[in-house]
Amino acid sequence: MEEVLSAEGTQAAPAASPENGVKPRKKWTAKRVTLRVLLYLGMSVLALLFLFPVWWMVVNSMKSYPELQEQLSSLRTFLPGNITHWFTSYGNLFTSEAMSGTMWRAVLNSIFYCAVTVTGVLLVNSLAAYALSRLKFPGAGVITTIILLLILVPVETSIVPQIVILSRLGLLLPGTRILGYLLPGFVSPFYIFMFRSYFVGIPKEIEEAAEIDGAGKFRTFFVMIIPLSKAIFATVAIFTFMGAWNDYVFPQYIFSANVELMPLQVFLQQVNKAVPKDTAMVMAALTISTIPIAIVYIFCQRYIVEGVSFSGLK
Amino acid sequence: MSTVDMEETGVPAPAPENGNAAKPRPGANRKFRLFGKEYRVFDVLTGFAVIAPALILGAIFVIAPMFISLSYAFTDADLFALNTAKWNNFANFASVFTDPKMWNALGNTCLFVVLAVPLQLGVALGLALLLNKDVKCNTFFRWAYFCPVMLSLAVTSFLWMNLLNEQEGLFNGLLMSLGMKKNQNFLGSDYGMFSIIVVSVWQGAGYQMLIFLSGLKNIEPALYEAASLDGANKWQQFVHITLPAILPTTSFVLVTMLIGAFRLITQPMIMTPQGAADVTGRETTSTMSWYIYQQGLISGKVGYSSAIALVYTVFLAAIALTLRKVMDVKD
Repeated sequence: MEEVLSAEGTQAAPAASPENGVKPRKKWTAKRVTLRVLLYLGMSVLALLFLFPVWWMVVNSMKSYPELQEQLSSLRTFLPGNITHWFTSYGNLFTSEAMSGTMWRAVLNSIFYCAVTVTGVLLVNSLAAYALSRLKFPGAGVITTIILLLILVPVETSIVPQIVILSRLGLLLPGTRILGYLLPGFVSPFYIFMFRSYFVGIPKEIEEAAEIDGAGKFRTFFVMIIPLSKAIFATVAIFTFMGAWNDYVFPQYIFSANVELMPLQVFLQQVNKAVPKDTAMVMAALTISTIPIAIVYIFCQRYIVEGVSFSGLK
Repeated sequence: MSTVDMEETGVPAPAPENGNAAKPRPGANRKFRLFGKEYRVFDVLTGFAVIAPALILGAIFVIAPMFISLSYAFTDADLFALNTAKWNNFANFASVFTDPKMWNALGNTCLFVVLAVPLQLGVALGLALLLNKDVKCNTFFRWAYFCPVMLSLAVTSFLWMNLLNEQEGLFNGLLMSLGMKKNQNFLGSDYGMFSIIVVSVWQGAGYQMLIFLSGLKNIEPALYEAASLDGANKWQQFVHITLPAILPTTSFVLVTMLIGAFRLITQPMIMTPQGAADVTGRETTSTMSWYIYQQGLISGKVGYSSAIALVYTVFLAAIALTLRKVMDVKD
């Protein structure tokens, strides 16, 4: 599966193929030139429409608030500000009185929640998938069927019953809230299904060889299966990371009374409603919360494309 | 457990890591039969141990919520006094159908789905078709259209909330510099839902574009060459080659988008915290997921909220089934 995002030169379907001479290069007639110009013009306008809000966000996060306000009604609002103010708003975000140093907490919270969620998801779901694909035990068939049903039938799983259960289990108390937020995110029928489909494709002989060498099932899993399935582990890890980092509604409810426990996405609300309002600081917070996801998209495309095409097989 | 039939008994199962044996250990091979199937003791024990975390967590946080939802729908359960819940039979359902706020939320959600889904599908397909042409700077354009996907729903909502701000948003600033009336309330009752639609399409289209693009790339170029030799023009090629080839992709994308659109909650929750109420007090950006959330978790009426969720699930299932039927006919 090639990288869809940055693969150079698409094989445009009716493209001319000059090398093998099947089709000669098209002549540059007036009509064709006009069409080309229109095409590039249209594509550029579209690119502008998709890019300008993000561009504005980044550029204005690198201005001081008075600067931002002053330039708002002119086209200078789209140009970088005075270089001496480039990091003013970022500084304010982490140190200003209004934020009282809780921005650091939010960033660290997000990193912690993501790390725990990714580890938990990988362990719980891959082990379950391994049991379902390799070990014969009573009930395996029933469990597989239930998992498939859960994936196929879109149930309106609102967060209301989940909150009810957490509250009944005492996982919403001030001291247990973090556990209450993290635990429900560990198991995912879809990831079990994904792991299972991958494990089924690994030849059984490899494991049998390991077993003959005396490795137990656990050892076989960690020494043979995981190294052979790096790709699926990476894909699931990346999707879990992005989901956990971007999660909003659930943590917003659970941590509504605990500013110090809020992940970054929820903390954005605190920055946005801070008095006095500082739009430049808000843009700085938005930019910071986007950077990790942008990095993942830029450097892990291969796995993302794999995940997208996998979900397309469903 | 009636038909347990040990074939090899009395051999103690060795510890898993105990192995320099050249052949499978006898303990691991110990077998028994259950419901006519043969199992190895060792596999069964490891199997249960390994799947236990997923099984327990899944039972508590995936399966149980469904049953809770189902049973609470017939009670007057209150989030802040769960132990005093009493059955009230169909009382919740009677009020669901006469609840003007529920109908309003359903109407708003349907408006969003009907406008945003086709728009996003069209934009995504259009962009994919443009990118599939033989153009320079393809990579730049692809990243440009994809860029908003990297923003989370929360970031998107906060960003656009500031861009569309009535007092000092970018758009009102631009309108003023063009000499137009200032202080348009883009997030008020008049434009609120349309702002949410535009923002959602802007954020999401790049993702579906990528799926379409990989679908388009899988089409054999030879098909187009053969068609053009036969004298088919571009439009005929599009209708007879491109469209049929990406139909499976389209139906998959459509179904995922529909499910997502019917669950709209983050954008209106952040961008219009008061629901963009109009003069009559009707909340023009209230959606079903948001209303279920508000009823259950803010007002604490878990019973009533579960009843709405149940009705909504039936509604969505009916739509999903109809859609599947329609698509089967098309295929």
